[in-house]
Amino acid sequence: MILLQTSALTMRFAGLVAVDAVDLAVDAGSIHALIGPNGAGKTTMFNLISGLLPPTSGAISLDGADITALPAYARAGRGMARSFQNIRIFASMTVLENVLTGLHASIAPGLAAILLRLPRFRRQEIDAVSRARAALDLVGLATRAGDRAAALAYGDQRRLEIARAIAGNPRLLLLDEPAAGMNPAESSALADLIRRIRDAGTTVLLVEHDMGFVMRLADRVTVLNFGRRIADGAPADIRRDPTVITAYLGAKVAARLNAA
Amino acid sequence: MPVWLDDFLWTYQNVVYALGVNGLLALSMYVVLSVGQLSLGQAAFMGLGAYSSALLTVKLHLPFAIVLPASTIAPLLFALAIGTPTLRLSGVYLAIATIGLGEVLRALYINIDFVGGALGISGIPERAGLVSIYGLLILALLGFWLVGRSAIGRAMEAMREDDVAAATMGVNVARYRLGALLTSAVLAGLAGALSAHISSFIGPNEYGFEPAVTILSYALLGGIGSPFAPVIGAWILTLLPEMLRGFADLRLVFNGVIIVLAVLYLPNGILPWAMRRRAA
Repeated sequence: MILLQTSALTMRFAGLVAVDAVDLAVDAGSIHALIGPNGAGKTTMFNLISGLLPPTSGAISLDGADITALPAYARAGRGMARSFQNIRIFASMTVLENVLTGLHASIAPGLAAILLRLPRFRRQEIDAVSRARAALDLVGLATRAGDRAAALAYGDQRRLEIARAIAGNPRLLLLDEPAAGMNPAESSALADLIRRIRDAGTTVLLVEHDMGFVMRLADRVTVLNFGRRIADGAPADIRRDPTVITAYLGAKVAARLNAA
Repeated sequence: MPVWLDDFLWTYQNVVYALGVNGLLALSMYVVLSVGQLSLGQAAFMGLGAYSSALLTVKLHLPFAIVLPASTIAPLLFALAIGTPTLRLSGVYLAIATIGLGEVLRALYINIDFVGGALGISGIPERAGLVSIYGLLILALLGFWLVGRSAIGRAMEAMREDDVAAATMGVNVARYRLGALLTSAVLAGLAGALSAHISSFIGPNEYGFEPAVTILSYALLGGIGSPFAPVIGAWILTLLPEMLRGFADLRLVFNGVIIVLAVLYLPNGILPWAMRRRAA
């Protein structure tokens, strides 16, 4: 079953086609990787899918429903969550408050319930805190709940971003270069975490430059180059695909590799 | 009421009232800043509240219990008209749009005879008092405190730090911004109605750019970590000129120096402590 689908998705900036008629189908329950050289349009794809950019043309559907016209906040309400390539945590809030904010789409107390501190409001807060703590537990940040987010080390901030994104049990999780700047031990722990998130029922679409990481983790890989989809398939096939090798290494090196 | 308190209020009534009214104005600034927007229209909203309430009292002789809530209508409508187009965009569009508002309204007040023209409105009966002023201030503080420690408070803090990230968590950023501006207009309108009904006179020049900056400086000095911070800022900047009366015109210099020092050395205000954003 396909959870996320883009059809002929196109994003044109003045004079540049960043995403060019890309068809992408992400199977429910899979870990799907989006790869490509720098400037291939991967982050633009993410911004289109999460609703931060309105596409020039094409359509996006989530679980069969067309969401092309929905603003970002409404897509979050439909079970979509994401992390960012450059970390965007709320630095002045505590670690726990950051994750609680990630639950915003799933708690909707009315103003009256908040002002009157109705039982419904209290229940929701208690429930939210326990869900947030569970997410922190999963990423291994449970002991840092009360610290200011800005005080966390780089790798921990990345994990906090993931905790904030998964706290609401999203159907689709978009991870933009989650392993960037991590050492091998950290990225292997991250791969385990992503598998656990998938096993808990969340479909994962990720952009990543670390090929070893992608090949070990992904069920399916889509390759972009200059905004176009140039390949799509299982990791083992992608690794052997001549168009992909050419895109990454250039035609000359690829030819020399073939000759050798 | 004990005699000493009565004596005290008699002597310092104007200052005591001003502290309450300016506290409300500081909160009206706080709610906009706390969603990451800048408005320079607080004085204009205050003027709308003052003028509309004074007219209702002087021309229609309505009781204060009706006049006070009715004073929020005109500021609300103007905030809606300015906020709806500007708050969908991120950036300083609200600030730019609100700078003009005070000046436009001033020109209107001066040129419309029905609202007193250049002479303003005088002979407004003294209807506001300790109870109405401080009752509203305490209610507003309590409201911000309760909302601050909830999902709405977290969403406001989050969008102030990063509106894009907040939107991807499901925060309807444009709606919260407009809600904050409307709340701010209500508070400023109430403050205007209260001040009009303690000073017996209002004029067209009292609600321009200069008071707008003064209101902004309340929040700059106090900070916006919690709703109490801007109120403390307002109290300091209200009391200081009173205590420095001997320095006459130099008082404004003190105010200016304090604001510059606060911006340079206390970027989070004199009460930088941030309130907890959860209730459980």
